[in-house]
Amino acid sequence: MPSGRSLFSCLCLLLALLAPTHAVEAADDGRDPIVVKDPHYGEVLYYFYQEDYFPAIVRVLAAKDREQLSDHVQEAELLLGGMYLSYGHHVQAAEIFERLLAGNVAPDIRDRTWFFLAKIWYQRGYLDKSQQALANIERELPRFLQREALMLEAQILIDAGNYDAAIVKLENWKGRSEWASYAKFNIGVALVRLGRVDEAARLLDDLGELDPFNEELTSLRDKANLALGYALLQDGQAQAAKAPLQRVRLEGPFSNKALLGVGWADAEMDRYRRALVPWMELRGRDLLDSAVQESMLAIPYAMAKLDSISQAADHYLNAIEAFYEETNRLDRTIQHIESGQFFDDFVEDNPLDSTGWYWRLEELPEGPEARYLFHLLATHKFQEGLKNYRDLSYLHRNLDEWQQSVDVYGNMLETRKEAYALRLPRVEDALGRADLDEMVGRKLEFDSTLNNIEESHDWLALATQSEFEMWGEITGLENTPALRANIPEAYEVRDKIDLLKGVLQWQLERDFGDRLWRIRRNLRESGEALVDTQRSRRQIDESIRLEPLRFDELSDRVYSLDPRIEGTKMRVEDALFQQRAFLQSIAIGELEAQKQRLDVYSVQARFALAAIYDIASTVGEASE
Amino acid sequence: MDAAESESRQQFQSLDQDVQTLKKEVLDLNRDLFLLEEELLFPANSQVAFFISMDVGEYFELDSVNLKIDGKEVANYLYTAREADALIRGGVHRVHMANLKTGDHEIIAVFTGKGPHVRDYRRGATVTIDKGIGAKYLELEITDRVKKQQPEFVIKDWE
Repeated sequence: MPSGRSLFSCLCLLLALLAPTHAVEAADDGRDPIVVKDPHYGEVLYYFYQEDYFPAIVRVLAAKDREQLSDHVQEAELLLGGMYLSYGHHVQAAEIFERLLAGNVAPDIRDRTWFFLAKIWYQRGYLDKSQQALANIERELPRFLQREALMLEAQILIDAGNYDAAIVKLENWKGRSEWASYAKFNIGVALVRLGRVDEAARLLDDLGELDPFNEELTSLRDKANLALGYALLQDGQAQAAKAPLQRVRLEGPFSNKALLGVGWADAEMDRYRRALVPWMELRGRDLLDSAVQESMLAIPYAMAKLDSISQAADHYLNAIEAFYEETNRLDRTIQHIESGQFFDDFVEDNPLDSTGWYWRLEELPEGPEARYLFHLLATHKFQEGLKNYRDLSYLHRNLDEWQQSVDVYGNMLETRKEAYALRLPRVEDALGRADLDEMVGRKLEFDSTLNNIEESHDWLALATQSEFEMWGEITGLENTPALRANIPEAYEVRDKIDLLKGVLQWQLERDFGDRLWRIRRNLRESGEALVDTQRSRRQIDESIRLEPLRFDELSDRVYSLDPRIEGTKMRVEDALFQQRAFLQSIAIGELEAQKQRLDVYSVQARFALAAIYDIASTVGEASE
Repeated sequence: MDAAESESRQQFQSLDQDVQTLKKEVLDLNRDLFLLEEELLFPANSQVAFFISMDVGEYFELDSVNLKIDGKEVANYLYTAREADALIRGGVHRVHMANLKTGDHEIIAVFTGKGPHVRDYRRGATVTIDKGIGAKYLELEITDRVKKQQPEFVIKDWE
């Protein structure tokens, strides 16, 4: 019997899985393992350890239904809750946890569980539930979770527009970890949104000058500098905005916006020649980026300001052409997404063998639309929507497979019924011929005869056939008249006969006890066999009585499952359709926004170009 | 949060609730189907289930298990690294289910893998079982014999 893990370990392991970076510290609890007592519980663990939550959950539910987990009742329940959570089935998970965590569960486990529930609910947009779960945490969490919990709490406040409360929450932040930097950034952003730019500037500036020790922090530093730069630009502090914007790396996810911002800061100060330097750098970059698009208008704008009218006109024309082509590409992408093919490709590219909350889509399917939707991947709504879409596809496939199996089961059951109906008369006939009562009667008769033989010590009754015949022959000879003659030959024969008879009798009497014991043993065994046969007979009778009922019950189940599967499948299809429509609407909304921005830029470019032509013609007329 | 964002979130949550409900229904359905399948294919009276378990696993790295009942091969299962790891961590794999008549049956299991010093290792275990009425669970157990620094393979009734 294998060693498994204790109840505590199971939940620790789940919680560790939910926080992969801390898996080792959370799972290595150092407590003694327990023995897996029910094979069905071990089987659940087998799937659980492979993170195949769906089959693991099904097995727990089935084993619970059959009461096969008697030695692991509470563990199985807690494990089920954890697996529901891992599978993204947060409603059921919460139901179990709320029930179980109210009971006798270690406070640290309870608090951690509430934290992970809060996290999953936040990601799915259930802010109230998430806040409530956080409020249920009674003690201080381990440090690595405490930081995240505080961030989560603050983020909920920020999302709800409650910036002041978020600032208060994060102001007391202590420590020099990455989380502290994120906290500072979030406070800074919250302050900017409140219009308290100077306060935000102090925080973001501090963050913008930090010495990062990894890529994540470098990226956060760029983000802080960018946020500060634009906040100052909007606040009319163009000169001050330049320094943070120039601190952003030249190559990175925020570099285009930073270069654009540096240009605008110079332009704000009428230094158009300087402004052209970062903007011209943007010219060769990916047109998909809104900063690059904007730079295509900014460059001719600066040129016009520098009186390079003809060059400005060329750049506007280039921009109009580029925006037009980009708009066409966007239209084609929108059509592709509307066709539904995009999400089918997505499911095909991602094997459905694992599902659950940990899964994240890292790469979109190859194709032109991927480049437009790339940053949508970073949003919870899109990611969670994709998870649901993927889970629904899994459910659909699962139901499809069962539907085929149920058809086979139906056929199988019908075949069994036919075979049973065919065999039953033969069995009944055979049973009718086997008169068990008569056999019992005969056995009792044998018992009685044997008792009489024993009582009368009738050794001849137990003689074998040959002995009996011999005895008959001897007694026959004894009565031969010739042997009664009074002659020596007759005496001699009579003596021999007496001797033979005596030897035979002596042998029969000697073997009597042994023979009696053997016969009694055989008779007892026959009696036992008869009892077994009677038991079997009763079982057969019971089976004959129950089998049709069993067939009926199985038929009911098989045939009621089919419509149930069909109905659920239709609802899954409907949900898939709706989920796809939802994801399509997000994706298309994103693309439409990009298109709209290009339209606006195109109009601006055309308007500026017209203005240039006007000026040119006015100048021409004046010179004539 | 603007109105459009709020509406979008509500729409997401409404769909999410539907997905949650469907997940529950499909899981319940799977449970019923799982039970039905087992009852139909392996009625309790004749059912025999074979489970593979590992205790510790220091001296043996499981690759495959071959199972014979009364001389007839009924299962030949090749384990992935992930599955073998799940066994080492305490999981139990139901490698085979069968229907057997009451009476004696000879079971032979052959385990292959890497033994001590990462050498190819192939060992068999055999047992004769008396199948009565009612389900029977057999455990094909791989344990470590620390004294001999060797794995041990045993087939026994699940206790």
